[in-house]
Amino acid sequence: MSEPGVPVLSVKDLEVEFDTFGGVVRAVRGVSYDVHAGETLAVVGESGCGKSVTVQALMGLIPMPPGRVVGGSAKLLGQELIGLDQAQLNAVRGADMGMIFQDPMTSLNPTMRVGDQIAETLVVHRGITRDAALKEAVRLLERTRIPEAAQRAKQFPFEFSGGMLQRVMISMSLACTPKLLIADEPTTALDVTIQDQVLELMREIQREDHMAIVLITHDLGVVARMADRVAVMYAGEVVEYGSVDDIFYRAAHPYTQGLKQAMPDMHQHGKDRLEAIPGSPPDLFAPPPGCAYHPRCPHAMQICKHRDPGQYRVGDAHYASCWRLHEEAPAIAAEDSHAG
Amino acid sequence: MGSYIARRLLSGVITIWFIATATFFGMHAVPGDPLLNDKAVTPEIRANLERAYGLDKPVPQQYLIFLGNMLQGDFGISFTQQNRRVNDIIAEHFPVSATLGVLALLFAAGGGIVFGALTALFRGRLPDYLIMLLVIVAVSVPSFVFAGLGQLAILQLNRLVGFSLLPVAGWGSLSHMLVPSLVLGLGTMAYLTRLMRSSMLEVAETDYIRTARAKGLTPQRIFFRHQLRNAILPVVTVLGPAIAAITTGGFVVELVFAIPGLGRYFVQAVQQLDYTVIMGTTVFYGAFLVLMVIAVDIAYGFIDPRIQVNKSLS
Repeated sequence: MSEPGVPVLSVKDLEVEFDTFGGVVRAVRGVSYDVHAGETLAVVGESGCGKSVTVQALMGLIPMPPGRVVGGSAKLLGQELIGLDQAQLNAVRGADMGMIFQDPMTSLNPTMRVGDQIAETLVVHRGITRDAALKEAVRLLERTRIPEAAQRAKQFPFEFSGGMLQRVMISMSLACTPKLLIADEPTTALDVTIQDQVLELMREIQREDHMAIVLITHDLGVVARMADRVAVMYAGEVVEYGSVDDIFYRAAHPYTQGLKQAMPDMHQHGKDRLEAIPGSPPDLFAPPPGCAYHPRCPHAMQICKHRDPGQYRVGDAHYASCWRLHEEAPAIAAEDSHAG
Repeated sequence: MGSYIARRLLSGVITIWFIATATFFGMHAVPGDPLLNDKAVTPEIRANLERAYGLDKPVPQQYLIFLGNMLQGDFGISFTQQNRRVNDIIAEHFPVSATLGVLALLFAAGGGIVFGALTALFRGRLPDYLIMLLVIVAVSVPSFVFAGLGQLAILQLNRLVGFSLLPVAGWGSLSHMLVPSLVLGLGTMAYLTRLMRSSMLEVAETDYIRTARAKGLTPQRIFFRHQLRNAILPVVTVLGPAIAAITTGGFVVELVFAIPGLGRYFVQAVQQLDYTVIMGTTVFYGAFLVLMVIAVDIAYGFIDPRIQVNKSLS
């Protein structure tokens, strides 16, 4: 899967903090991942694990203050994004990287015709006239298979269904054929059949444009369908990183294993109860010392409470951060790792 | 759309009828009558006068006569101003009040939107604190104080420039209208500023503003094309009641600046129990406000595409 050459997006040791009344929240604590052209990276994790904050930080969308990028870098086609001012970011946002959001119903301006909203991106980045941009907007809507695109372009968001609006969002983010598409839970607000259509559309466009996708989700079903590679995040860190098969069949981190057990499996009979991960996500005001997952980890050892595990290579381009992968760790109890 | 407006107008007519009826009986419930003034009147003269004005008839019959005349657009003759028809009073003085009110409303809406947007733009910085402080002052201080202060300011200004730049009172030219309408609109302007500020801040937090930023739009473009229009919607909603506040609040300002508006007659009539003038001005103001609210509702549909006339209703 991984290709040589410069990755479209390369995030390295990114750290983001927020100042709040309760103190400093360390939302992202050293996240690294790469995405190559034509590849989909899924970023999974529970609510508040920092998966959205990471991409919003690199797009310059987090409000500063209270937000702040403390360290690390994020490079888009080799160009550093962290530290750019808003004007410099505006040259990149919408042009080289597009973003689609969770709730299409609220993510579009309710008092502006959808055609205008799409055309606006083109007017700003390509400098073409509004009429030309509107024509292009209709073509983009057609590309995302919106029927009667010319009429639909003249309508307002409230005249669309959720699935149709997400198609509009996709057309909008694709207007300038970006190299990178960031999709922040693009199907969470949609029902399952519409989810399927939207995901299929994204894949098709990815094949045609050869763009890189960062797909943020907490739905492992979506991951299995879309992703080439997966980054599992917990408490602001990437705890496991590997190919989609690595994550689904050779999960090395107890958190990833826990997530999989919490997922329904229609082939596995006799599994009436889904195993929930005990406990609750850590308090990011004061993340636990050592491995952030240790309070909930069934395999936690003494060292997990005191020292950060660091990253271990589990396989080809498959990494996990767990003390049990250390060479001196006691033998790992065999996980049911039969490929299904 | 046409039938929607027709329905709104019909319900407006019912509202006006209700206002007229409530005012009529409320007015008659007040002790005394317009003939009861300082001058001693013999019982004979009084009986003659009552017959002449129809006050000797039972109240329900008076009510029916009044309704019948009102339907023909006739509010009768004033009790206290000799041989002056109520319709003439309204026709003569309402344009003055309306001009003052429209100017005040323009000040209020324009100022409210601009200052509200400014405070939101400079949130937590000096311009924000300064404007919000002035807003609290403008909301708290009654208009007659501002009217007096306004006149004082005009005096000082005239003294400063050495000639009469702005007249202190009276009516006629645009220079007469400037300060009174500013004073009249001030309270509403302050209220709209606050509303606009909170509305702007709310819109700034929405997902679609984030989308606009993710598209790489400049802050100016986001402000004018995405934020402003959505933030103005709540302001437009309260414009109806704001018109009410300005027109009914006008009489104090009219009194202080000696402006020959309708407000003065409205208040005077109540003090003198001038039945016909009370009825005429109240019903007229009522009808005017109902019309304004309908106009605002219709205007709202043009600004917000989501507010459309439900076809099944119309």
